[in-house]
Amino acid sequence: MKKDNLTRWMFLLGAVVMVTLPGQALAGEVYKLGLSLAITGPTSDAGNPYAKGVEDYFKYVNDTKMLGDDTIDCTIRDDQYKNDITKQNFEDFLDQGIVFYLNYSTGSTLALKKDFEEVKMPVIPASFHAGNLVDSNYIFLPIASYSDQAIGLAEYIVTNHKGGMPKVALFIHPSAFGRGPVEDLQKAVSAGLALEIVEVVEHGKDLDNTAMLKRLMSKGVQYVISQTVQSPVATMLKDADSLGLVAKSFGEEGKVTFLGCHYTGGNDLVALAGAAAENFYWTTSYIVTNEPSPGATAQLELAKRYNRDEKAANSHNYANGMMVAQVATEVIRRAKAKGKEINNVTLYEELQEMNGDNAYSPGTTVGPVTYSKTDHTGVDSLQLYVVKDGAFRSAGTPFIPKYTGKK
Amino acid sequence: MSANRWLATGNYFTSYREEQRIFFTSLDRTAMALFILGLFLWPFFIDVGNKYMLVIDNILIAVIAVMGLNLVTGFAGLISIGHAAFVGVGAYTIASFARVFGENHFLLSHAWPVMILAAGAMGAFFGAIVGLPALRLKHLYLAIATLSFQMIFEWTMKFMDFFNQGQTIAVGRVFWLTGEVSRSAHYIFWYYAILVLIVLVGFAVRNLLRTRYGRCLIAVRDNDRAADAMGMHPGLTKVYAFALAGFLAGVAGALHAYLYRGVGVESFTLHHSINYLAMAIVGGLGTLPGSFMGPLAIKMLDMQVEQLSEWASSHLAFAANLATALKPLSFGLVIVLFLMFEPRGIANWWRIARSYVKLWPFRY
Repeated sequence: MKKDNLTRWMFLLGAVVMVTLPGQALAGEVYKLGLSLAITGPTSDAGNPYAKGVEDYFKYVNDTKMLGDDTIDCTIRDDQYKNDITKQNFEDFLDQGIVFYLNYSTGSTLALKKDFEEVKMPVIPASFHAGNLVDSNYIFLPIASYSDQAIGLAEYIVTNHKGGMPKVALFIHPSAFGRGPVEDLQKAVSAGLALEIVEVVEHGKDLDNTAMLKRLMSKGVQYVISQTVQSPVATMLKDADSLGLVAKSFGEEGKVTFLGCHYTGGNDLVALAGAAAENFYWTTSYIVTNEPSPGATAQLELAKRYNRDEKAANSHNYANGMMVAQVATEVIRRAKAKGKEINNVTLYEELQEMNGDNAYSPGTTVGPVTYSKTDHTGVDSLQLYVVKDGAFRSAGTPFIPKYTGKK
Repeated sequence: MSANRWLATGNYFTSYREEQRIFFTSLDRTAMALFILGLFLWPFFIDVGNKYMLVIDNILIAVIAVMGLNLVTGFAGLISIGHAAFVGVGAYTIASFARVFGENHFLLSHAWPVMILAAGAMGAFFGAIVGLPALRLKHLYLAIATLSFQMIFEWTMKFMDFFNQGQTIAVGRVFWLTGEVSRSAHYIFWYYAILVLIVLVGFAVRNLLRTRYGRCLIAVRDNDRAADAMGMHPGLTKVYAFALAGFLAGVAGALHAYLYRGVGVESFTLHHSINYLAMAIVGGLGTLPGSFMGPLAIKMLDMQVEQLSEWASSHLAFAANLATALKPLSFGLVIVLFLMFEPRGIANWWRIARSYVKLWPFRY
């Protein structure tokens, strides 16, 4: 009787092993990633399409078996642009065993810098603040920093300005995000960039910038470089338009030419400012969907595949999110191809080898992504765009600012 | 006093001393001892992960801050809508030391209990300064005075280079008897450190309310002229109410700085002041248990609403804006509902529940 029972149990155990083992052998690895960003609250107009870009690209990776049987499981959490909640989310992701982390705001990236160092976690934030890289080994900027962008715009002013020394005002967000490039731009000026910074304006929540614009005009300001988000720029442009101050061509005498860094531009600015956005100059390292390119086609197809609306599909922040997901996927793919175990350490190593012949071209950017032990800025090239007939169009070819090395 | 030390059914005292006891029955004392013991022991049996340990630590820090707010607003009746700024003063005291001496300086890493007390003292100093207008101002006017302190605090932190223009100032790890507190032990270490402080502060506040000084707070709240006529000093009472509140807020701020290993102004904004006030109202103004229940209730509500708005924004594309509004909406709604239907807060539910159990099986 006992022997019968034992036989029965052995048979059952064997059956269970036979049923489950092949499944386990076939099932691939699941690589856990985390993204904490503002889906609601301040800056969610940028965070929303960014999250969609990340989500869609990882879905695409899994659906098309880009990593074979292995899949990426990226948990996306809302932090409402609050550092305390970002910290909670990051701790949660660590508890889940993430191998790569995607962060969002400048404030939280700076606040969590020590944590990234301690847990040796490679991080790509949506913030391009140059200060993120100071005393940090694990933060990688996806594209040229805000400082590089502002300096690039300033160099363009110097090159194309006619007359004496151009007078420039900076219109910035009252935070580390906004203030980031100010000091670096001042250093570039000290190093020989021939322009005069007349005033640095930290905007509030003003609904009217008339007084500020008149003050800038009285000081002879010819150019305003903005480092903030779209809505304050739209308010300023509309006020400038109603005062008849917007230059119809670059550097038009007696008028002001408005320029801005990555988060000031895009389709949302045109939607907010309307006709006042005409002739606004904008720089970023991302492509735009207004102009045909393989990257634009891939972006639009991805958005269509996952039923995103037109607004999200054409957003440069969708491209932004998609691009960081592309980079994360690429380092996993490369580490896998080399037979490495996928963890934070190997992905960190792999990121730093992304240079020279190993540079990565995601298509969503105007230049290749390159990282090394000493260079944690992904795409060094910038593209200048200008609004013509309600859409951003390329002005010239991609360029790399010269004064960025003279900080 | 009741004949049965374990199950007293009514309030019968034969001396003032009896009435002033912290625990009325042995059952109360035993239950509290077991509850505190439970708070110290549960982490040995349940692993909640770092995220939830951080949330729990946060709730405990809020409890200390709300105990301070309850002293000034609940017991002394002086409305303060700048409490987060006092918490910020404590946090920036630690940050200032980190800025001047370095984030890993001996004072910060080894003498951290002293630093926490120093932060409390700084909070008390600023509390007393802000309390000075209370000598002349009352009600809404005093509230505006505290609000202006909040504004001045935020502006100073955001624009002064010394305070890194409001961006995070890093604070190093602390040392304990076993050496440096590691990352893996960080949250549990601070759980115990904060818990010990809460027990001490809780009993200190309870004892304060049994003393002349504590009774002065209540007397001044109920009628400051009558209190004056009875020989109390309403002015001094108001100033030390603010100072005490500032001390506890400063301690909470220092704990926040150590817990997050950094200080940034965005954790001490007007929004946080309103949050502390909401915790005090929902918990029950002028009650000690309310200082514990309010932070727990509001933080739990916060977490639930966060999850709901995250779900709404990811599953219902059209509801993204609604999701953004969900948190302030639910927060405001809870405060309004409590003010309308239960102005005495959750602490009153606790009181009713206790009375019911005490009188059972007779009807309440």
